[in-house]
Amino acid sequence: MTTLLELKEKLIRFYGKNEIYVKPAIRFVLALFTFLMINNSIGYMKLVSKTPVAVILALVCSMLPANGLIAIAALVVLADLYALSIEVCLVGLLMFAIIYFIYFRFSPKSGINAVLTPVCFKLHIPYAVPVGSGLLSEAYSVVSVACGTVIYFFIHGVSENASALSDAAEETDSSVSKVVVALNQLIGNKEMYLVLGIFIITTLIVYVVRKLDIEHSWTVAWASGILFEAIGLTAGYILLGISDKIAGVIIGSVISGVIAMIIQFLFFNLDYSRTERLQFEDDDYYYYVKAVPKSLVTEKDKQIKRFNGKNEKERLNKKKFAEEMDIDENLLD
Amino acid sequence: MVNEERLHHMIKMAIFDTDQGKECKPMTQYARKDYVSLRMLGSFVSGTIGFALILVTWGIYSMNQLMENLNAMDIQELLTSVLVKYIVFMIAYMAITYFVYNRRYTKGRREVKKYYGNLKKLNQLYEREDKLKMSENKDWE
Repeated sequence: MTTLLELKEKLIRFYGKNEIYVKPAIRFVLALFTFLMINNSIGYMKLVSKTPVAVILALVCSMLPANGLIAIAALVVLADLYALSIEVCLVGLLMFAIIYFIYFRFSPKSGINAVLTPVCFKLHIPYAVPVGSGLLSEAYSVVSVACGTVIYFFIHGVSENASALSDAAEETDSSVSKVVVALNQLIGNKEMYLVLGIFIITTLIVYVVRKLDIEHSWTVAWASGILFEAIGLTAGYILLGISDKIAGVIIGSVISGVIAMIIQFLFFNLDYSRTERLQFEDDDYYYYVKAVPKSLVTEKDKQIKRFNGKNEKERLNKKKFAEEMDIDENLLD
Repeated sequence: MVNEERLHHMIKMAIFDTDQGKECKPMTQYARKDYVSLRMLGSFVSGTIGFALILVTWGIYSMNQLMENLNAMDIQELLTSVLVKYIVFMIAYMAITYFVYNRRYTKGRREVKKYYGNLKKLNQLYEREDKLKMSENKDWE
């Protein structure tokens, strides 16, 4: 545990020193993942779906704030949908517009979850997102997790039904029914409602438990969140008759548990053995404070050198002291 | 020589400026009522646009059904139900807006107060320093 804590200290120090490089690097990796995921699922527009383009876009995003990534990713998605068919693009545009007008005006800061959720879905660990946002952000971040879930299911649905939605199928399908097929990926998708409901409740459970005044609240929070997700999704999938996804849910939940542990370790690690209770007052109030120290350790590489190693065993006695002080021994009686 | 006490206040102020400064600035200019009502006005516009977009989406989705039942449909009833939904949606949306921005104002004002506290202390430190300098100058003369 001590080695881990030292590692954490080192990480914090490294981040503090190199923040100016680390932040853009993280943004670059996230953006690259996002664009590669979009290309992989719905890369219909050849112009923007090449890996070099994704790298260039990710580089641009690394220099912009987090919301820049959201805007560019939305544009890339719309461009791809436009290449597939204009009706699907319209539906996508409507979806993004509704999300923007109703939610993003409120809390532009937690918008990154809307990108993170689809990316984690693609990596088969979406269960970590509600737990992570419940641990790290405010309660309203639940909406951005919901937005991310909706966006993922839309993109996933479009890529599954690409043949029915593409321009090539124009003769057989009227444009209105194509819009209906695209909208059905959202409105008629029972799996989406299930995942959406479970994710919203999980985020709220984790958030509420984390805020409780109990010991080890973070551990209890993420554990109960992941347990709820695993049980809820398993039960839901059985009800919906999609039992082949259950193994994925369980494995994903285990990995998400590990991620939650890492989040907890990095952002919250309290040592309850040295808890202090304090009392003081000011003009207006009496304060009863419970102070829980953060368990930070000093690095091992501090070395202690003894310069008087040999003399350590010699003990000071009256005679020696008198000699040192140059006085008569009897004076010290 | 670096005045550490002054530096302490200045760091706090700089953190506030970069993190929340922009967001908190309107809170220093407006009273709570004005701040919240301004936000609610914005929410009214964006909520209406959002609802209209949802309505359009629903309209396209159930276009076929609407077309089939066009003759038998009671337009007035349809409009009333849409209006009721709009009102319910807006009330909920405005209530959330009120709640969120009211809380943000409370929090923001607290931060701004701290900021001004730091500013005051900083000012005092400067004044004290100036006085010391003045007295030193007199001694020189």
